[in-house]
Amino acid sequence: MKRLFPVIYMFVITAALSAVVIGFARFTEKRVQANESLAFEIAVLKVVPDLYDEKLSSMELHKIFTGEVKEPAETTAGAYFVEEDGQIAGYALPIAGQGFWASIRAVVGIKPDKRTVTGFAVYEQRETPGLGAEVAQIAFTEQFKNLKLSADGKPVVFRRPGETLQKSQVHAVTGATQTSTRLEKIINDALAEWRKKVKNN
Amino acid sequence: MAKSQTKELALEDLWSNNPVFGQVLGICSTLAVTNLVLNTTVMCAALIFTLSFSSMSVSVLRKFTPRNIRMMVETLIIAFYVIIVDVILKAYWPQMSESLGPYVGLIITNCIVMGRCEACANSNPPARAMLDGFFNALGYSFVLLIIATFREVLGMGTFLGFAVPYFSSSYWDKWIIMVMPPGAFFMLAIVVWIFRSIQIASQEKTK
Repeated sequence: MKRLFPVIYMFVITAALSAVVIGFARFTEKRVQANESLAFEIAVLKVVPDLYDEKLSSMELHKIFTGEVKEPAETTAGAYFVEEDGQIAGYALPIAGQGFWASIRAVVGIKPDKRTVTGFAVYEQRETPGLGAEVAQIAFTEQFKNLKLSADGKPVVFRRPGETLQKSQVHAVTGATQTSTRLEKIINDALAEWRKKVKNN
Repeated sequence: MAKSQTKELALEDLWSNNPVFGQVLGICSTLAVTNLVLNTTVMCAALIFTLSFSSMSVSVLRKFTPRNIRMMVETLIIAFYVIIVDVILKAYWPQMSESLGPYVGLIITNCIVMGRCEACANSNPPARAMLDGFFNALGYSFVLLIIATFREVLGMGTFLGFAVPYFSSSYWDKWIIMVMPPGAFFMLAIVVWIFRSIQIASQEKTK
């Protein structure tokens, strides 16, 4: 009995604490999942024209998403889209890839001409706060509004901060070369791939 | 517990035996999360919660826990409270959970928590153990907040996300190194140096 006591004791404590944690995690599970999908939905609304308004509550934004945004169809090659009078009014292409620390997930909004970007929003990243994490901030993302993608070569080129920009170019984030280089690759790979697929359809 | 005893405990944990510049414990998270004041504040709140309650729980169980497995039990209790904090953040403050990333989970391995459980909670009644945990976490927090304030203002020109006059203007060339990990080492060394010097000076005076 004396030798068994620590084993039994450990077992009881583990069982009791685990039960509480599992119960608690179950209780909040739905909320956690809702938060994750909401982050994605908001990113989509931000990149397509005229749907996002920061004054709206999460619930209202969720309603707009379910009402206006259509799930990817075969012809859109994995991109979500919005319609106007039965015509596609804009695409929202989810992209993902490895950042400096962990994966970066984002959405690119594209006009029906497949050349003009309507917006860019990051909804999941673990980059260095203040440096790489700035790719999710408005100062960086607003550069993509009305950006014309180049027809050949890299769709978007990242230039060093301060350099003069030409067509299809944006400024990288100061002090975050690693994150910027990786994000540039994520965006370009995804866009090149997508354009090839959409053309074939 | 007597009032004077509480005061003595507070003074010891906040000043003379401060976890950061007295015991130099829990430095990993000191360096990792202190480049934004808001992140640091949330991290400190999480630590205060974890340390107070795990000290109390360890103390409540101290008479039943067999000595040879006490560290396992302590780790389990600490992990329990940390996971609770992590889940709360994920469910109710997803943006913060996102920006703190893995560091909340790493409170489990913060040596201050284990250290206090071993040094105090194992041999003291629950109320005293909880206060000890609370003041130690507070002593840790205020040092972290000082470091975070300097790092954010010098490195980003903001405080709690708001632009600070002068530092956010073009006159101030932002010290990017302050936001990067090396900046944390510099700030920590400077803070430890200043506080230790003050301690030594006041000790010599009382002699």
